[in-house]
Amino acid sequence: MSTLDATPDLARRSVSGRRARLGDLLLQGVAAGAVIYTLVLLGLIAWKVIQGARLSLSTLGLGFITTVGWDPVHDHFGAAVFLFGTAVTSIGALLLATPLALGIALFLTELAPGWIRGPVTALVETLAAIPSVVIGLWGIIVLGPVLRDHVMPALHSALGFIPLFGPVGTQFSIFTAIVVLTIMILPIISSISRELFLGVPAELKEAALGLGTTRWEMVRGVVFPYARGGVAAAMILGLGRAVGEAIAVSMVIGSFDNGISWNLFNPGDSIAGKLANEYATANPGLETSSLFYLALILLVFSLVISFLAQVIVRRVAKRQGYA
Amino acid sequence: MSAAELSALQRPNDRLRRRRIANRAMELLAWLAAAIAVALLAIVVWSVAKRGASALNIDLFTKTPSALAGFVPNVQQGLANAFVGSIVIVGIATLIALPIGILVAIYVNEFAPRKIRSGINLVLDVLNGIPAIVIGIFVFGLIVVTRGQSALAGSFALSVLMLPLVSRATIEVLALVPSSLREASLGLGVPRWRTTLGIVLPQTIGGIVTGAVLAVARVAGETAPLLFTSSLVSNQIEWNPTHPLYSVPLAIYELSEQDSSADHALAWAGAFVLLMFILVTSLTARWLANRSRRKLTGASR
Amino acid sequence: MPRNGKLVRISLALVGAALVAALAVTGASAAQKSSKDTLSGSGSSLIAPAVAIWSQLYTASTIQYNSVGSGTGIKNISHRIGDFGASDAPLNKPQAQACNGCAQIPWALTATSPVVNIPGVGPHQLKLTGTVLANIYLGKITNWNDPAITALNKGLNLPNLKIVPVHRSDGSGDTYVFTNYLSKVSHVWKTQVGCATTVTWPGVGVGAPKNPGVAAAVSSNPGAIGYVSIAYTISNHLKLARMKNRAGKYVLPTINSIESAAQLVKAEKIPANNKISITDPPKSPKYRNAYPLSTFTYIIIPLQSPKASALKAFVTWALGSQAQGAIKKLVFAPMPSVVVKAAKKTLAKIHT
Repeated sequence: MSTLDATPDLARRSVSGRRARLGDLLLQGVAAGAVIYTLVLLGLIAWKVIQGARLSLSTLGLGFITTVGWDPVHDHFGAAVFLFGTAVTSIGALLLATPLALGIALFLTELAPGWIRGPVTALVETLAAIPSVVIGLWGIIVLGPVLRDHVMPALHSALGFIPLFGPVGTQFSIFTAIVVLTIMILPIISSISRELFLGVPAELKEAALGLGTTRWEMVRGVVFPYARGGVAAAMILGLGRAVGEAIAVSMVIGSFDNGISWNLFNPGDSIAGKLANEYATANPGLETSSLFYLALILLVFSLVISFLAQVIVRRVAKRQGYA
Repeated sequence: MSAAELSALQRPNDRLRRRRIANRAMELLAWLAAAIAVALLAIVVWSVAKRGASALNIDLFTKTPSALAGFVPNVQQGLANAFVGSIVIVGIATLIALPIGILVAIYVNEFAPRKIRSGINLVLDVLNGIPAIVIGIFVFGLIVVTRGQSALAGSFALSVLMLPLVSRATIEVLALVPSSLREASLGLGVPRWRTTLGIVLPQTIGGIVTGAVLAVARVAGETAPLLFTSSLVSNQIEWNPTHPLYSVPLAIYELSEQDSSADHALAWAGAFVLLMFILVTSLTARWLANRSRRKLTGASR
Repeated sequence: MPRNGKLVRISLALVGAALVAALAVTGASAAQKSSKDTLSGSGSSLIAPAVAIWSQLYTASTIQYNSVGSGTGIKNISHRIGDFGASDAPLNKPQAQACNGCAQIPWALTATSPVVNIPGVGPHQLKLTGTVLANIYLGKITNWNDPAITALNKGLNLPNLKIVPVHRSDGSGDTYVFTNYLSKVSHVWKTQVGCATTVTWPGVGVGAPKNPGVAAAVSSNPGAIGYVSIAYTISNHLKLARMKNRAGKYVLPTINSIESAAQLVKAEKIPANNKISITDPPKSPKYRNAYPLSTFTYIIIPLQSPKASALKAFVTWALGSQAQGAIKKLVFAPMPSVVVKAAKKTLAKIHT
């Protein structure tokens, strides 16, 4: 079909040879321009954030990272509370989401009857499509009170000897933020894991089953080791999502900036949450610059996470290329 | 048979039973995990639908939010300016991100040497991993401090989020086009640019549309980039992109902070419309993607 | 689907048409000039319901207001984002410098009130003193059945319930009023925490954004206490606490008690920047019924503004009896004439 269109060009080729080269150069140039735009964009983002943080970097230095408290009145700023909050909420969400995600991926690849697979896959991926502000709204009004009135007291009475499960406060707490983040990163980890499990060569699985292993033993012995690298990458991507989530976390975490508490039922704050709450209000000067410092830390985190995921993916691809 | 021989025969069966129990337990856990995920989705969608339904009326699309809700009884309000603003902001963001994203994909697939290809892919992945709030702060520092807020600034911020999504989707679909097609066309003397734009690209329109639709679904619900770029908005329905325009996610965010039940109902209604829009577009895009992938590769997923 | 260049060309043409249409719409709406000026402002959530009522009554200009909190309002107008800002807290020195030639004009009078959520305690039943309130927020009193509280409330059955102090997480004029009062009644508070729109809150409490956020946090958590502008407590029936003033009376914020506190202004001269504080009026028969957490609230306008005449017309109207009367139902008391005079004097300085 398209070859017929091209035939007239054959006749015109010698005349329009220059035009063709011009067209080629133009397309390549414009396309390269788009690539340069993308590179410049990335560089600009990094530059703007560093530039904004410069005052705080020079005034407070690396001590900022370990200082607790955020006091605009006395010009006392520190990232420790927010680093702690980000770490606890992200790692907590990862710990809760990974087993769930792996379970879902296993279900979809090994256990589900054929007619269920499609719909359930679509449903789990749809969970990822829910905007964070909607999950935040649901978290404040529906999830939070349920956690505060039923789940948190139950955990406290059962596990109260562990400092993590101390006295229960309001629905705005680190624990609520962890549950919200779990819901948000679950689909990422599960869909990547699902693809990985689907990629395990059938011969390997059948060989194990042929030797008399149960399905679970086959999964444990063949699927998991094979997919291990990819699942690690999926977990890291999930972690990255959790670290960067600002809106839903800021709505449920309680915005408490003045101390670090190991009690998950206390309110806290995360880097991204603090940026969402405070950015518009900050006084120019050291306070705004300190917020940029926080943004810089967040940016560095996300870059490290992107790189780590890439490294793992590349190593897995190489290994599977020879498998 | 002696008792020892009998017990030797029985022992493997005990172990087998234990293994079978472990297997069953794991299967049940996997079923449970899937059930939890589906239940979570159902609960969230149901909560939003139930609470949003009460404020779902024609006012939602014709009136704007009122600051008097909660102070004065029977305030009629809606989210008309938020719907209009979202359409303008996301529309302009798409107009920015789509051409640039397609061009990047063309460069990666048609022109770039191998090393540069992986480099650009890395850049796209890194860009994709930057939190939306950092992008909002970046655009604030770049545009808003000197020129003030505007829907255009918000669109620019959203376009940065959309760019990697559109690029990656287009790269994937372009890679699926068999190189024999390109070679045949080039062999007949069709210039490179004509081959790319006139022969290769049309094959991928389905995939590009899917990528664009998914990117739209993703940014339609983004709040953080709009917080600092398009938040000081008026109560009237406005279309002018040089002014800051309201948007549905921002409306939900602000209304959720209010204390009146009227405002909360409005937030739920907005959440319901937004959720329905995103769900319908996501599912349609995925269905389209599966269909076009089947057409291109002849395989089904 | 025809797989040839024609489709690409058609698609490009459609995209081009869409672009043209978008530009046309943009051009049309940009060219559309309303005969009325639009005055846009942002800031204090305390004044937001009053501005909403005013924008419905005032016809000479279109008033557009975003309730973002006093702190953000000050920041915005300092960057000349919008035509005016609104704040319950007067500008401090660095803020005044950053605003670079702004006038602050008192345009309404109301109060902030502690609100509580204690099961078994009805509206307006709980009595508190400034010292007890300070100690609650300092984290020294942690339970509702603490002897310091029960001593003041002999008739009430206060439960054994943990106190959850709620504060504003955003830069807030209500925080300024609240901490201004606490600084006057508690020396420990003054030295340890201070008075500002954002402070470091001692102890474990919950931060919520803007007045509605605090109201929601208090009503959804038994044992919570917060501070909220009066207007926000009316329709959702929040339970106020009676505060003991210097004269020894336990008062609620009403038009009368607020007006009584505002009399403090006559006794002191109003400085040129209109910075007035009427919290914690002294012990005197004149202030017997005064509510100790009353406050003026300010509109902040650049001295040099392109919309000077529209702004002046609006503020003059807002200071008038029709406007002030319209917001009385939200417990905004009529301002003393001394203050109105000073406001108009400052207003006259604004020019294009």
